[in-house]
Amino acid sequence: MPPAASNLDYTPPDGGWGWAVVLGAFISIGFSYAFPKSLTVFFKEIQAYFTVSYSEIAWLSSVMLASMYAAGPISSILVNRYGSRPVVMVGGLMVSSAMVLSAFGTTIMHLYLCVGVIGGFGLAFNLQPSLTIIGTYFQVKRPIANGLAMTGSPVVLFTLAPLNQFLFDTFGWRGSFLILGSIILNCCVAGSLMRPVNKKLKPRPETEPLECNGEASEKAEAQPANCSLPEEEPNESSCWSCAQKFIDLSLFKHRGFMIYLVGNVVMFFGFFAPIVFLAPYAKDKGIDEYSAAFLLSIFALVDMFVRPATGLLGNTKWVRPRIQYFFSFAVSFNGVCHLLCPLANSYAGLVVYAVFFGIAFGMVCALLFEVLMDLVGPQRFSSAVGLVTIIECAPVLLGPPIAGALVDRFGEYKYMYYASGVLMVVPGIFFFIMHYFNYKKLDEEERQRQADAMQMKTSAIESLNEP
Amino acid sequence: MSAYWILLLLISYRDISATTFDATTPTMVSNITYTSAVMSVVLKGENQTENVQLLNRVRLELDCTWAANENKQPNITGYWTRDGDEIEDSRLTVPLQNEQYNLKRVFNIEHEEDLRKYSCVFGSQAQIQFILTVPGIDHVPDKPIVSYIGDYVALVCKIKDTAPKPDTWRWYKSNETDKVRTDVLAEPGRYEIKNEDLKTTLVVYNLTKEDSGVYHCGAVYPLKTSVGELTLNVLSFMEPLKILFAIVAEVIILVAAILLFEKWQSKKKPREENGMNPLPTDEMMQEESNSLGESSALRQRNV
Repeated sequence: MPPAASNLDYTPPDGGWGWAVVLGAFISIGFSYAFPKSLTVFFKEIQAYFTVSYSEIAWLSSVMLASMYAAGPISSILVNRYGSRPVVMVGGLMVSSAMVLSAFGTTIMHLYLCVGVIGGFGLAFNLQPSLTIIGTYFQVKRPIANGLAMTGSPVVLFTLAPLNQFLFDTFGWRGSFLILGSIILNCCVAGSLMRPVNKKLKPRPETEPLECNGEASEKAEAQPANCSLPEEEPNESSCWSCAQKFIDLSLFKHRGFMIYLVGNVVMFFGFFAPIVFLAPYAKDKGIDEYSAAFLLSIFALVDMFVRPATGLLGNTKWVRPRIQYFFSFAVSFNGVCHLLCPLANSYAGLVVYAVFFGIAFGMVCALLFEVLMDLVGPQRFSSAVGLVTIIECAPVLLGPPIAGALVDRFGEYKYMYYASGVLMVVPGIFFFIMHYFNYKKLDEEERQRQADAMQMKTSAIESLNEP
Repeated sequence: MSAYWILLLLISYRDISATTFDATTPTMVSNITYTSAVMSVVLKGENQTENVQLLNRVRLELDCTWAANENKQPNITGYWTRDGDEIEDSRLTVPLQNEQYNLKRVFNIEHEEDLRKYSCVFGSQAQIQFILTVPGIDHVPDKPIVSYIGDYVALVCKIKDTAPKPDTWRWYKSNETDKVRTDVLAEPGRYEIKNEDLKTTLVVYNLTKEDSGVYHCGAVYPLKTSVGELTLNVLSFMEPLKILFAIVAEVIILVAAILLFEKWQSKKKPREENGMNPLPTDEMMQEESNSLGESSALRQRNV
């Protein structure tokens, strides 16, 4: 059984309507990740239209991505309060209206505000709730559900890229933004599928006292009755306890969460840069434009199939209990791929690299949120993912420009690949070591709790037997 | 076949009519000093093509050298062609010197018509082709540029970074019949031309349907004007709006269907639960009536 997941007081359905929820999450997550990337098709014309430089127009994607990550905690607070469905529907409406408004924009600032900020917030309101609701519907089959939902990203990107090109050819950028605004309104359809899970299902038989992770959790109603809480410090500042009501800041004292956070922050510096520079690197090696673009298609295609496969693998009885090791392996594998990339000198070598990179990237993405759920449990997941995304905002944004600076400084791509490789291998090893200790500690705590439970039961029986 | 660009820089010449030079009519100017250039190529293999980029009038000497093959004939006939046709009086007997054959010829490149493909041919086997051109327009999109009525559009033409800049830029618009090209000149509120060294932008304001069509940008060099074509398509906003409304309608229908389905499902469940409730009450009533009956029977018995 996964260590930290057992503090639900109902049995998740693990199927049934859950699969419809996975479909909704697939669509939402797909749009959240793929939409900012797919807008690059329009950049050239918008650049000519508003007479701005390429870096100014490239900021549009960055602002959208930054807003999406920065709005994570707000999204978490809203999900904690209102549940997933309303937040996703509001998010869909926000992005849709942002795109429609920007179609009538007259300056580049309009686009930054509409598409960048409002659009980014709307996408954040799609991403967090989708991830959270999977945790409420699935327990046993959760890795598969997560893997399937995360497959949305490459599938939607694969569909949006040629679609955007077609829209651009037929309608120019203004018309395309209008139509994209309506297409992304389908996130509301995804949201409507996210029915709040029925918590009145048969409760799990209580075999052991339920685990209390850390300090008070934010949902009072989910607090198990027989949980012995450590005393809350009476001298907490009102600011902290106020914030505590909305978002679970006590996560920063959670061992597993901190391991995840530290490792991820380092990892994300080197995570996206290799994708951004794959095509330019290929062109630099003398490969023509179309073959270079084809490398990205290979990467996306491999990614698409690896994600559900990883979910299935993560669900097996050998991997599930120690899924953190699987994640550590995936991260390290990524790093090794990048370190070996400069050895590829021909197109065939780059194709091999693209395939392995696709596998590695898909594995990490499929497990990214599953391991977080595994560490903090479904109840605290919403707050956890909000905190994680806002902190990850910096490395996600800074990664590609720093990589670009490395390329400019040395004039070669290989140093950037070495750097990315190191930035992924080090967190991978860090995860391996830290999770080894974490699992040991968790097993110890489990044993301790079982021993306490046995003691309580025997003392209860003795007290009953006394006349 | 290898091809590489060679740029011949113009140094100085006198051309009186530089500013009013029209690319289509040749100017008759006397007393011009030509720049001279020599292009020497050694043939590897049997066929080779060289692209020669020219800007200005030039006295161009093309020098071909071919290493003899196994035959090593002492003499071989060589000649020059222009666009595949042999140039008169160009046939020579080329002697073998230092295991090589050599052909040289001077061409006066004065006008646009002189920018052709010239070849030196050795016997019937080997040739080097020189393609003389001016720098061309770079990467013009072959698909139409789309814009909307009332909006403005920016049409851009660029020369490759490595090429020297043209003397000036020109814009033309084609009629539907594609025969007449009318100049597009700057007009405040309507057309704006922004010229940079290697780039020109034509901005058309207040677009109407009639503005759709083919626009030509010309990079004017002394020898020739390089032309690129851009197609503009002006649409009305209704066209994407129709699609927007269609998709919004689809979304509303789907959301309503899913929510109604959910309501219907949740109504079914309580109905099933309620279905069981009457039974206990019935039983209770029966029990009550039984007990009443019993008590009355008892009473009867007692009485």
